[in-house]
Amino acid sequence: MKGWRADLHIHTALSPCAMDEMTPPAIVAAAIECQLDIIAICDHNTAGNVAAVQEAARTASAPLTVIPGIEVTTREEVHVLGLFASVESALAVGEAARQTLPAVTEISKRFGDQYLFDASGEVVGEEGKMLSTATSYTLEQTVGLIKGNGGFAIASHVDRPSHSVMSQLGLFPAEVDFDGIEISWVGVQLGRDSQFEWLNLPMTTSSDSHFLSEIGSGFLSITLKEPSFGELMSAIQQMQGKRCFVA
Amino acid sequence: MNLRELTERVGAVNLIPEVGLTEATIERGYASDLLSDVLASAPSGGVLVTIQVHMNVIAVAVHAGLAAVIFASDRRPDEDVRQRAVEEGIALFASSDSAFDIVGKLYALGVRGPLA
Repeated sequence: MKGWRADLHIHTALSPCAMDEMTPPAIVAAAIECQLDIIAICDHNTAGNVAAVQEAARTASAPLTVIPGIEVTTREEVHVLGLFASVESALAVGEAARQTLPAVTEISKRFGDQYLFDASGEVVGEEGKMLSTATSYTLEQTVGLIKGNGGFAIASHVDRPSHSVMSQLGLFPAEVDFDGIEISWVGVQLGRDSQFEWLNLPMTTSSDSHFLSEIGSGFLSITLKEPSFGELMSAIQQMQGKRCFVA
Repeated sequence: MNLRELTERVGAVNLIPEVGLTEATIERGYASDLLSDVLASAPSGGVLVTIQVHMNVIAVAVHAGLAAVIFASDRRPDEDVRQRAVEEGIALFASSDSAFDIVGKLYALGVRGPLA
């Protein structure tokens, strides 16, 4: 058993709000420099760059596990993270999400590019759907969609004043079966995590990086046999009402 | 009634004095905090009343062709949001009134919702 560092919420330049510098090789290099062992790629409503980041990590200077992920925007404009064992599962959820989105327009393009990359960081395409807006899935349906594809569903940055369960719905719906809640790393610094203990769910944190310089600013410290999806998720599941990070 | 007159009568503060206000008559408005709903339904050339101060409000306002956004309940956007509105030429106002009261005042001044 060994302690590992995991930053489970990083955007690529496919997310319109993320910087163009967020290419697969640049993200991998920044993660290794921050001594991260595990990262998850979670773009808004798509998993289109996950495979490229995984491939970039395979040829990197140090071992780095890249977990396929997504950050779905529900109908209520709540962000929900899905983490998966396979790229195929993440892509399936992404495809279901994107199908409900409107097409990109000339105006929406002004608010951020949506680049698809290969492993070397070359642009190989652009996403045609407006990834920044809400899907048609309710919160409950979104969690169902993630879990139905074998994923792990985490409520994004629950302490934040926008796009969180608390900001959009005011309270935590008991009928929604989350596997965990994410506290923003800023929230961790401010001690906001203690407000969410009563939910009795595992508490994670992450960098929610949109810039390279943010990678590794928030991360989990977790003891595992190996840095795999299965090991990590079962370790997190055992942390009901507890922090998977050093506050 | 134009935007300057309308917002003065409502008692909303101009957050972007550096951007000139349109002289066009404001006839329509919308009130919503769900940005996907604003994107789908807000009337072009109209005014939006919302408590959402996220950056995405500006993108949605540009997309919907809104003339102005009035932030209710004393909510103020961050400076980067304000700067983006300057760049995009979206007028921003703030009021300590609730969205309900702002909309009531706008309605009394002749502003109506989107055409059905």
